[in-house]
Amino acid sequence: MTDTAPTVWELPPKPTNRARIALIIGAIATFTTLTCLPAIGGVELDFASLVDNWRNGARLGREFIQPDLSFLPRTYRPMLETLQMAVVGAGVAAVLSVPLTLWAARQTNPRLATRQPVRFTINVVRAVPDLVYATVLVAVIGVGPLPGLITLILFDIGIVVKLVSEAIDAGEHPYMEAGMAAGGTQVQVNRGVVLAQSWPFFTNQWLYVLELNVRISAILGVVGAGGIGRLISERRAFFAYDDVGAIVFEILVVVIVIELFSNLVRRRLT
Amino acid sequence: MTDQHEVGPGSDVSGPTSWSIHLNDVSVTYPNGTTALRNVSLDIPAGEMVSIVGLSGSGKSTLIRVMNGLVPVTTGTVAVGPHEVTHLRGRQLRQLRGHIGMIFQGFNLAERTSVFRNVMVGRFADTPTYRTLLGVSSERDRDLVFAGLDSVGMLDKVWTRASDLSGGQKQRVAIARALAQGPSVMLADEPVASLDPPTAHSVMNDLRHINGERGLTVLVNLHLIDLAQQYTTRMIGLRAGEIVFDGPAAEATESNFEHIYGRPIKSNDKLAN
Ligand SMILES: Nc1ncnc2c1ncn2[C@@H]1O[C@H](COP(=O)(O)OP(=O)(O)O)[C@@H](O)[C@H]1O
Ligand SMILES: [Mg+2]
Repeated sequence: MTDTAPTVWELPPKPTNRARIALIIGAIATFTTLTCLPAIGGVELDFASLVDNWRNGARLGREFIQPDLSFLPRTYRPMLETLQMAVVGAGVAAVLSVPLTLWAARQTNPRLATRQPVRFTINVVRAVPDLVYATVLVAVIGVGPLPGLITLILFDIGIVVKLVSEAIDAGEHPYMEAGMAAGGTQVQVNRGVVLAQSWPFFTNQWLYVLELNVRISAILGVVGAGGIGRLISERRAFFAYDDVGAIVFEILVVVIVIELFSNLVRRRLT
Repeated sequence: MTDQHEVGPGSDVSGPTSWSIHLNDVSVTYPNGTTALRNVSLDIPAGEMVSIVGLSGSGKSTLIRVMNGLVPVTTGTVAVGPHEVTHLRGRQLRQLRGHIGMIFQGFNLAERTSVFRNVMVGRFADTPTYRTLLGVSSERDRDLVFAGLDSVGMLDKVWTRASDLSGGQKQRVAIARALAQGPSVMLADEPVASLDPPTAHSVMNDLRHINGERGLTVLVNLHLIDLAQQYTTRMIGLRAGEIVFDGPAAEATESNFEHIYGRPIKSNDKLAN
């Protein structure tokens, strides 16, 4: 072949989303500016106090990063309580999440009349912040690990049911048609095959909420809902930041250990 | 895999009866407005082995699915054996489906679980829901599962994870699942379209044996004309939702096929090209 001139293609105009990007950036900038304007009741960011108090903060910081490790033995019991809340909460939530998830997914529950109430309830449960649950439950039940446990269960169910039911709905499940064709009920198909097929989705989220639980249950004690958080707020009230540092260090270690453990399990499962 | 095993005795499921199928003036229009079947009338006597051929989109899958009620008819009536499918709801519909085995192009197995659990799906219609919920199966259910697997030569894979099987093995497990129902009719929607030629032949052979030895009525959707001619006795041609051919498969001519397909026959319309 001899050299020919490059073909000139008659292309349709290339779609451009520059206008949309500009719009989004503009919206974010406007929103940020507006919310920071004190004149219209925006958030007041008092940078001056940051400078004024830096000396104070530096002292606290110094104590904080020199934790008093001799305090650790006093933390073991509350830490154990935190871990118990985390594990038991994740376990109870795991059991409850299975039927609720299959109820909330369109493909495993085609009936809108029973699906929508479950989804609605789950969304409401998720909308309430965990510390609000803990505070309210402490007021209702009293100080101790039980309100903390219930908080964790509600929090976990909200996450697992939402994420796993969405994962189920995003997937294709041709084996369900086979189950219906064989004369199965929806419940039989769900229990007989969908569950086995969706196991990895569930275990992944269960491990994820276990990790979250350790972190959350560490602070639930601040509002009286059991666990190590109570000790944090107590030592902080005495300005014993070296003790607080020791506790935070301990929480860090425990969180890392739990994450290593759950990564290990996750790898074995996939 | 070219093994031509027999679908033989030992697979005997307490002598199921074979059913006839009657469609009277059936039309199907999907909710989105697509009309997939137009005034289809059809009589299939018990024990016949019928192929349904047509281009992709001609309505083959829809036709086969009105027979077990997976797709409801818009107008017309469907009778399978002693049942008027169009009138059945809920429990009765599930009972009917229990008598109709079905296999699919994509095998439709739960890949992450065992062959055993997949074949147990074939026992759903005869199992109370609470038993499935508790995960307990009866002695008889297990027997039927093993018998179904045995009759397609897959008993040694009973505890294998379905995802570890080859395509041909998966389709045999799917056949076992249908056989575990103790069906009176067997529907197959493009059962060999995802398989290589030797495996396709061995699966078609399984279907022929099911028809020959158990006397089951077998309906199989195919888009390959040589398979239709080689394995079935009667052929129904579908084009744009209408029956445009109905006669002995062996006698169908090239021009019959061109009429069904609405275009000249190409080499990939046959398995052996
Ligand atoms: N669930 C559905 N909803 C809407 N249209 C459908 C659906 N299933 C099939 N169709 C349409 O109906 C027609 C026949 O499809 P189908 O029965 O699957 O044909 P075939 O199996 O011969 O390829 C096609 O036009 C297809 O797009
Ligand atoms: Mg099809």
